[in-house]
Amino acid sequence: MKNFASLILLTTQLQLLAASPYLVEDIPLPDNCPPEVGAIDFAPDGTFFVVLRRGDVFRATPLSDSTEWEWQHFATGFHNGCGLDAVSRNKVRVTQMAEFTEATDTDQDGSADQYRVFASGWGLSGNYHETNAITDDGQGGYYIAVGTASHNGPTGEYTLGEYSQFGRRGRNFAAVKWKGTTLHCDSKGRLTPFCYGFRMHNGLHRDANGNLWCGDNQGDWRATTPLYHLKKNQFYGHPNSLVWDPNWPAEQDPLATFRADLAAYNQHRTLPSVQLPHKEMNRSAGEPFVIPNTFPHFPGQMLLPDNNGTRISRIMLEEVNGQWQGACTHFLKDSGLRSGNHRLRFSPDGQHLYIGQTVRGWGTPAEGIQRLTPLKNKAPFDIETFAITHNGFELTFTDELSHTPKVSELQFNSFTYQSKWTYGSPQENKSNHAISDIIRLDARTLSIHLKDFVPGKVYQLDLPLLESESGQPIQNQLFYYTANHLPGKV
Amino acid sequence: MLRLLLLLGATGACAAAPLTFETTPLGTLEKPILLRTYLPDPGLEPTVLAHHHRAAKSPKYNPSKGQDVQGEYDMIKVLPAAIAVNHGPALSYVFDTVECRILYAWQGGFLDMFPYWGERQGGRRRSFDYVPRLVGNLFYLAKPQESPKKTFTGYTLSKNGVPTFHYQSDDDLETHLTVRPSDEPLSFELTLTNPKTNQSQTQLITGAVVSRHSGFDRTIKIGQPDIAAGEQVFLAYGCIACHSTDGSKGHGPTLAQLFGTTRELENGNLALADESYLRESILEPNAKTAKGFPPNYMPPYQMKDKELQSVLLYLKSLSSLSPE
Repeated sequence: MKNFASLILLTTQLQLLAASPYLVEDIPLPDNCPPEVGAIDFAPDGTFFVVLRRGDVFRATPLSDSTEWEWQHFATGFHNGCGLDAVSRNKVRVTQMAEFTEATDTDQDGSADQYRVFASGWGLSGNYHETNAITDDGQGGYYIAVGTASHNGPTGEYTLGEYSQFGRRGRNFAAVKWKGTTLHCDSKGRLTPFCYGFRMHNGLHRDANGNLWCGDNQGDWRATTPLYHLKKNQFYGHPNSLVWDPNWPAEQDPLATFRADLAAYNQHRTLPSVQLPHKEMNRSAGEPFVIPNTFPHFPGQMLLPDNNGTRISRIMLEEVNGQWQGACTHFLKDSGLRSGNHRLRFSPDGQHLYIGQTVRGWGTPAEGIQRLTPLKNKAPFDIETFAITHNGFELTFTDELSHTPKVSELQFNSFTYQSKWTYGSPQENKSNHAISDIIRLDARTLSIHLKDFVPGKVYQLDLPLLESESGQPIQNQLFYYTANHLPGKV
Repeated sequence: MLRLLLLLGATGACAAAPLTFETTPLGTLEKPILLRTYLPDPGLEPTVLAHHHRAAKSPKYNPSKGQDVQGEYDMIKVLPAAIAVNHGPALSYVFDTVECRILYAWQGGFLDMFPYWGERQGGRRRSFDYVPRLVGNLFYLAKPQESPKKTFTGYTLSKNGVPTFHYQSDDDLETHLTVRPSDEPLSFELTLTNPKTNQSQTQLITGAVVSRHSGFDRTIKIGQPDIAAGEQVFLAYGCIACHSTDGSKGHGPTLAQLFGTTRELENGNLALADESYLRESILEPNAKTAKGFPPNYMPPYQMKDKELQSVLLYLKSLSSLSPE
C-alpha cells in the first residue's frame, strides 16, 4: 500500500512539472570499447568522428537508428586527445598531450597511415591534467585551450620544454610553457599566446560572429563556474599562467602576488561574462556551443554542458556598454542525460545535438555519446530572452503568458562573488530586491522594475510555476543574470 | 544489434584492434600497437635526456591555507612525450619525440596501463603518478651520445601498422627511423633512412637483461590494519581525487576533522560521523548525502576487510575528535 501511495504522489508531481522537450538517445560505441570521449566532430561530408581518451579515433555515417551505426577504426595512438577537427572524411587533426597532430588516410583504405605534427611548442610536465581543446579560427588555423596541471598529480623530473618554478606553485599549476593560456595556431601551425589566466578551460568555441568563448571549472581562483569572452592579451583570473606572459615581471610569483593583493588582482583581471552558480547550474563547464539557426529551439543562444552533472546550461547573452553579459538557466536537466557532458556538436542539418561525455577520477564514470532531438518544433514554454534595463529586466517568453504575475509571485535576490585562492568562493553581499512594478509590454513580455538595482552583482530570479496561454507549464523556474554593467536610461 | 566494421589487416593500416578495457594491451609480431602515454623512465642516464628540460623540487602548498608549508614535492621519473610500440611478447620499445631516438627496449610483455586507465568498473586510477608500469625484461637502455637537437615531424604506418618515425636536424637533414623485431635473442633491427637519397642503414642492436618488470603491483600488503596502511589504501583507491585531508574543498567533503562531528545531510537530517557512518559512506555512499554535495555521485567501494579497517583508522587519525 505504501508503494502504491508513493506512486500516486510521484505521478501527481510529474503532471505538475514540465515534460522533457527532448528525446535523449545513447549512441553506443563498439562493444568493449571504453567510451571515454575526448572530442567529437562532423567532417564537411557529414561523417561523424570521435576521439577516445585512450587513443583511438572512430568514424561513422550517422543513422537515425542510434544502435545501427557502423563504426570504423580510423586512427589510433593519441595521448589523451581532447580536441578534434574532422577536416575531411580522410583527415583529422587532434590535440593530444604533447602536440597537435594531423592523421591522414592517404590511400583511402579506411584508416590513417600518416601522422604529421601539425603544431607543437607547449610543454608537458608529466601531469595527467594537462589536456588541450581547440576551435577553428575561421582562417585555416585554430585557438587552443592549454590546460593546467593538478596537485592531485605530480611533476616529472624531465619536462617537455622550459620549466618555471613560480608556475609550479599552488593547487592548479603552469610549470611548463603555456599551461593555462589560450594559444592562437595559424594555418601553418605557428603558435602564439592569445590570452592568459585559465584554470581548466575544457573547450573553446568561436561563434558565427567571430567571438571566442570558453568556460572553466569552479576551483582555485574560480568563485563559481564562469563563461569568458576571450580577447587578445587579457588575463582571465587564474594567476599561474602569467609566468608565460612576456609582460609579467620575471622572477615574480603571480600566485603569491595576487594572494597578497586582491585589489591588484581585481584590477588586472577580466571578469566572466556570465557566472553560473556551480551547485544550482553548472559544476564544471565543458565546451560552449552556439545553437545554429536550423535547430528549432533557441537559435543563436549558447549551450554550456556540465562535465560534472546531468545537465546542460542555456545562456542568453547580450551586449551592454560594449561588453557581453547575460543570464543562464537549464537547457536540459536529467531526463536521461548522463553526466560527464563536455563536447557538443549539432548535426549538419541542425536537427540533432550530439553530446560527448567523459568523467575520469571524479565520482562514478559517466561517459559515451548521446543524441538529443526536440520532440516538437515549437520551443518549450520558457524565458526566451532575459535582457537588462536601467532599472531591472525585460523577460520575453517563448509563448503568451496565461496571466501577468503579481509582484508577490516573483523573487529577485542578488549576490557577489570574489575569486581568490580558495577552491570556489561563497556568495556574498546578498540582498533581496523588492519589485516595484511588473509591466506587461505585450502578450509575451514582462518588464520588471527592481529597487536598489546596482551593477556588479549576480541577480537570481525565482519564478512561480507560470503557465502559457495554452496551459503549458514553464520549463525553468530558476535564472541567474550576471549584471557586470547596467545600461543607461533610454 | 550493434554492427562493428573494423578494417583490419589487409584492408587498413590500423593493424591493431581497437583498445578495450583490458589494461595490458598487446600487439602481435606482424601487427604492432602504438601507444602514446606518459612512459616510465627505467633508469636512463640524465645525459640521454639532454634535450629535455629539468624540473625542480617545489615547496609544498596547502590549499586550505592558501600557503606554502614545510616540505617539498618530489618529482617522478617519467618521459612526457615518448611513444611506445609493441610487437607482442617479441619486442616492445620506446621512441622519444624529444631526443628523436630509441630510449629503451624490452621483451616478454608491454605496458600495464592500470595505474592510468584504472578499473573497468568505477574507472578508478590506482596510483598517484598515473604512469603505466613495464611488463617484461628490459634489455636495452640508450647510452649517452653527442647529438644536436632534432625536431620530430611525425610518423607513417605500414599496411601492418609498423611505424616509421620522421625527424629533422637543424641543417634540414631528414631521417626516417624504423624498428623491427629480430630472431636473435634480446635484439631488434634499427633502420635509418635518408628519404632524399633513399639510402638506408640497418643495424642489429643486441642487449642484455638489465631488469625484470611485472607491471603494477595491485596488492596492498597489510599485516595488521593500521593508519599507514590506511593512507596507502586511501591513495590507491583514488579517494584523494574528491576528498581532501587538509580541510580544502573538493568534489566531495573534506575528511579533515570529520570523524566525531555531527554532519548535516542533504535531506536536512543530522548524522554522527562515527565508525558505522564512515563504513556506510564507503560501502554504500549514497545511503546518506552530506549537505552541499550531489546525491548518487560517489560510487560504492568494495574493499577487503583489512583495507577497510585500515582506511577507517586513517580517517579517524585525521580528526582530533572522537564521538561519545
